[in-house]
Amino acid sequence: MALSSNARPNGGATVAGRLQKELMDIMTKPTPGVTAFPDDENMTKWTATISGPDDTPYANLVFKLSMEFANNYPYVPPVVLFKTPIYHPNVDFSGRICLDILKDKWSAIYNIGSVLLSLQSLLGEPNNSSPLNGQAAELWDKDPAEFQRLVLARHKTPEELDANAV
Amino acid sequence: MPSDEEYAQLQKLSDDYQPEATGPLVGERQSSSAITTEYANADLVYRIKTAALPQKYAYFRTCRGDGHCGWRAIAFTYFEALLRAGDVNKFDEELCRLQSMGNLLVVAGFQEDLIEDFRDEALDLLRRLAASERSMDGTSADLLLQTFNDYGASMSIITYFKLLASAWIQSNPDDFVGFLLDCPDIKTYCQQNIEAAGCEIENVSMAALAEVLVKPAGFGLEVLYLDRSPGSEINNTFCIEPTNQDGVPVQNAPILRLLYRPGHYDILYRADDFPSPVPQPPLQVALAGYTDEFVPMSSNLSEVMTMIPGMFPTGLGQRWPSVSYYDSPDPAPQPQIASVPTYVPAPTPAAPVVASHHDFVHSIHPNHVDHHQPPSLHNIQLEPPVTLPIHHAPPPAPPISIERTPSMSIERGGPFRPSMYELEPGFGSGQVHPSPFQTSIFRNSHYNTAHFMNPEFQPEEWSPDSEYATGNRGRHKSTSS
Repeated sequence: MALSSNARPNGGATVAGRLQKELMDIMTKPTPGVTAFPDDENMTKWTATISGPDDTPYANLVFKLSMEFANNYPYVPPVVLFKTPIYHPNVDFSGRICLDILKDKWSAIYNIGSVLLSLQSLLGEPNNSSPLNGQAAELWDKDPAEFQRLVLARHKTPEELDANAV
Repeated sequence: MPSDEEYAQLQKLSDDYQPEATGPLVGERQSSSAITTEYANADLVYRIKTAALPQKYAYFRTCRGDGHCGWRAIAFTYFEALLRAGDVNKFDEELCRLQSMGNLLVVAGFQEDLIEDFRDEALDLLRRLAASERSMDGTSADLLLQTFNDYGASMSIITYFKLLASAWIQSNPDDFVGFLLDCPDIKTYCQQNIEAAGCEIENVSMAALAEVLVKPAGFGLEVLYLDRSPGSEINNTFCIEPTNQDGVPVQNAPILRLLYRPGHYDILYRADDFPSPVPQPPLQVALAGYTDEFVPMSSNLSEVMTMIPGMFPTGLGQRWPSVSYYDSPDPAPQPQIASVPTYVPAPTPAAPVVASHHDFVHSIHPNHVDHHQPPSLHNIQLEPPVTLPIHHAPPPAPPISIERTPSMSIERGGPFRPSMYELEPGFGSGQVHPSPFQTSIFRNSHYNTAHFMNPEFQPEEWSPDSEYATGNRGRHKSTSS
């Protein structure tokens, strides 16, 4: 017996179907401070933005991220990178993020919206016990003013990013 | 000297390394003697335990070791148990029951729009299996296996069952909180150890899944543990008896059985989980077919396997005859005995018919004329073989003599010396016995060794005309492969 199942009458939930549904949700129920949109029709790559929460060193800053979805999404997490340079204890200088729900604690009931909200709260509540950027983890408690200065020094607005890209 | 950074990189590669899981997500059912073979060169404890395994648990099914095997094994066997239960209405009951648990999931805080895809996949499989059973198209077992080998579908169903287990724990915290070691709270525990996509099943979530899924369906659940602990058999580590709604134990309810080897789950079956083929119309059994279909097994092992009721010499590792579910009203692919047309005894004495097939009837040695010796090809059980001792060392079988009444022996003059290759006088002239040697397992199959004692046994005659006229044989063979 062949184990392929292309003949299923109603088809299984596909990656594209799931992402289509997520896009619909995001469009119809936008979350303040968070945007996401696919880069092209095949939907496997998205660009998202989050704005820094108030009362954090990232207030009033907007960060651009890339999200990439494997063909076994949502059973594996998307690959999420900060495209905007960010000074943060749990993000390294290439934009890679250390967050448990993007690794082994990922669950199929998370989605793009919950990932972005988690990242937003990570900005205000870094996990300083397992930093990717040790200096930032140290300064977070020790010298908030210096931390703030380094955040702003590293930040680029989306316009600056686009200008560099061209 | 590698730098620290290189070391860190290597360490990271090592930490992240995962052996590539291969094989089907859920495999075909196969003889569990394959496990014995797998451990043939292993530690003595494993050899002993796996050698004893096929006696109790005749079949098994592999699950891919991708970290979801335990969940997948329970999910698959749950649906399979519904098929085994042999009651189409059971699908509707389960459909209603699972739908009614929507509240449980809502209370646990799951968003409807995020879980509906997963739930729908599971409910849809129930519906499709029920439809297949109702239409009696005999494809339900294949449908189930296909669905579980579709990555998206099986992961959806697994995810749904994970959410059910998580919700069950969260709504019955008192039953579980004592087992959650060093965990801040139940919600976090469930998020990190059950809902997380990559997490393997552990005891707490298995207990929860048994409570929410297996028990209410009236099924039992057993986990058999194969490891190097002392002992001669695999251990039963986890067991839930099948009960009805009032908690009263139910006999003969399907039991889900998992084989656990540290870090991995497969599916295990007893031989009687899959009863013998559906009753066949009475057959007058063809002795001619006996040598063709029973003998040519190359290995001792498989020869022994052929003697197990309900098993046929299709060879190890192959698919068993597709009569997997005795409730499955599958008319087409029956084992080969089904294709033998009922023998209609010829009114005339059948002596010419069997010119080449009466080999086994007479005695071997002239000085043993009152003894008849069946061919010494097998260790033949003279009693109806309800369960054959499959742990026996296979033949060389001591020839078994069958007592015959002295009046059967022939004293005769003439130029011919007595030979084992000859018929007794009157062979085939009597009435064909109705079915004196029919047993519950073999019925009138020519696999029934009891026929060796039948002096009036009529072999089947092959007739090209009837074959081409009906086309039965050819058609059956092609559809059953």
